[in-house]
Amino acid sequence: MDHTPLKELLYKMADDQLILGHRNSEWTGMGPLLEEDIAFSSMAQDKVGQSLALYTLLHELGESDPDTVAFTRNANQFHNCQLVELPNQEYDFSLIRHFLFDTAEALRFEMLTRSSHQPLAQLATKIRGELRYHTLHANTWIKQLGSATPESISRLQKSLEYALPFALGIFETSLYEKELIAAGIFEGEQALQQKWLAKIESILSQTSLQLPDLKLIQPIVGGRQGKHTEHLQPLLDEMSEVFKIDPTAEW
Amino acid sequence: MLNSLDPRVNRLPQINQSISPKAPLDQFGTFEVFVQPKEGKSFQHEGIVHAPNLELAYVLAKEAFTRRFTCVSLYVVDTREVFVSPMTEGNNNAYDLIPESTTSTPGNQSFEIYHLAKRGKQHVHVGTVAANNPEEAMVHAREKLNTGKIVFNVWAIATEAIRFTSEEDKELWLTLPEKKFRDASDYKGGDKLKNFLERTKINH
Repeated sequence: MDHTPLKELLYKMADDQLILGHRNSEWTGMGPLLEEDIAFSSMAQDKVGQSLALYTLLHELGESDPDTVAFTRNANQFHNCQLVELPNQEYDFSLIRHFLFDTAEALRFEMLTRSSHQPLAQLATKIRGELRYHTLHANTWIKQLGSATPESISRLQKSLEYALPFALGIFETSLYEKELIAAGIFEGEQALQQKWLAKIESILSQTSLQLPDLKLIQPIVGGRQGKHTEHLQPLLDEMSEVFKIDPTAEW
Repeated sequence: MLNSLDPRVNRLPQINQSISPKAPLDQFGTFEVFVQPKEGKSFQHEGIVHAPNLELAYVLAKEAFTRRFTCVSLYVVDTREVFVSPMTEGNNNAYDLIPESTTSTPGNQSFEIYHLAKRGKQHVHVGTVAANNPEEAMVHAREKLNTGKIVFNVWAIATEAIRFTSEEDKELWLTLPEKKFRDASDYKGGDKLKNFLERTKINH
């Protein structure tokens, strides 16, 4: 059986989790309050752990071991969407990205609990507790700050408008949509985007934030094909620094 | 002026700042966190979190208090909703210091009651009483929940003030048992130190 479509799906998911996990971990020790610092760091660690689980599935399909895959590829070999590699900027942007991405992530894994690829379906079922927390965290903050003060609302609104074209890039069409759907592996990016839109609309409608008309937004795509912003390579260099000095290091 | 894509760098304090008054602390209020370690076990006080409101206190308490050990449920309440009896020590029961209530009606509000059975330990939930206010709740608790065993301190919290975990939210604690990196012991700090010391001994 040709595993190319399945591998492509696993790679883009694993790379999303790894890169955003690393980005979010940059807030560790710098969060807006201690409790939030702990929660955001925990979720970043969850994401890196989920990427490991996905790279392990790829390893079982014949790819290199997880450390090699994570630490030795260059930016143009990564399949993450560009949204996850953008610098953290201020906390409003990090929160909006967390909300937009994690909503899609939780829905994607929820769909994958029904995947015909059993190891993936099992993983999706196993991590649902973590994903439930991530979306609870994101939704609660967005509802709070999206209706709190003029400053919090305008900051989130600005970040939302900046992040949306990148967020639509999460759903960049795969070369293998038809094969994945036909094989019952994944219901497809389009189906996911529809569920995602309904969910973020329902949360944003409980705030003072305005969701722009998505039809008027040009999605920023290319990440899934290895096309990235200038920000990914420096992140990879930093992430793989220890591995490159000593690939056998344990820490 | 530093200018970096990393906001942390931009926030570093300026070195040449003029002499100015110290900025006041900007802190959120506190919320009390209670955790249920196992199904069927009582909730116990675990600590506090700072948060802008009750719902966010719940969200932040989950990771602050229940990431590194297993539990089945937690709840939070605004610190200002916790009513505290006099604190005792030795052979004095806190219930003996609670003032008598003027009314003897059962009351129509539900209160959760907690006992401190050992100094330095946590308050543990012992039951629920109906009363009109926290003072009366303590009097009713003395009748209903005082076993005669020394209690050093009693708390009463109106049930309706508590943000509980719903049945479906219990999924939050379904984490991966193989994720050993969540346990401090997995980092084997002691072993690494021992190995290092042994290695340096040989070298000298």
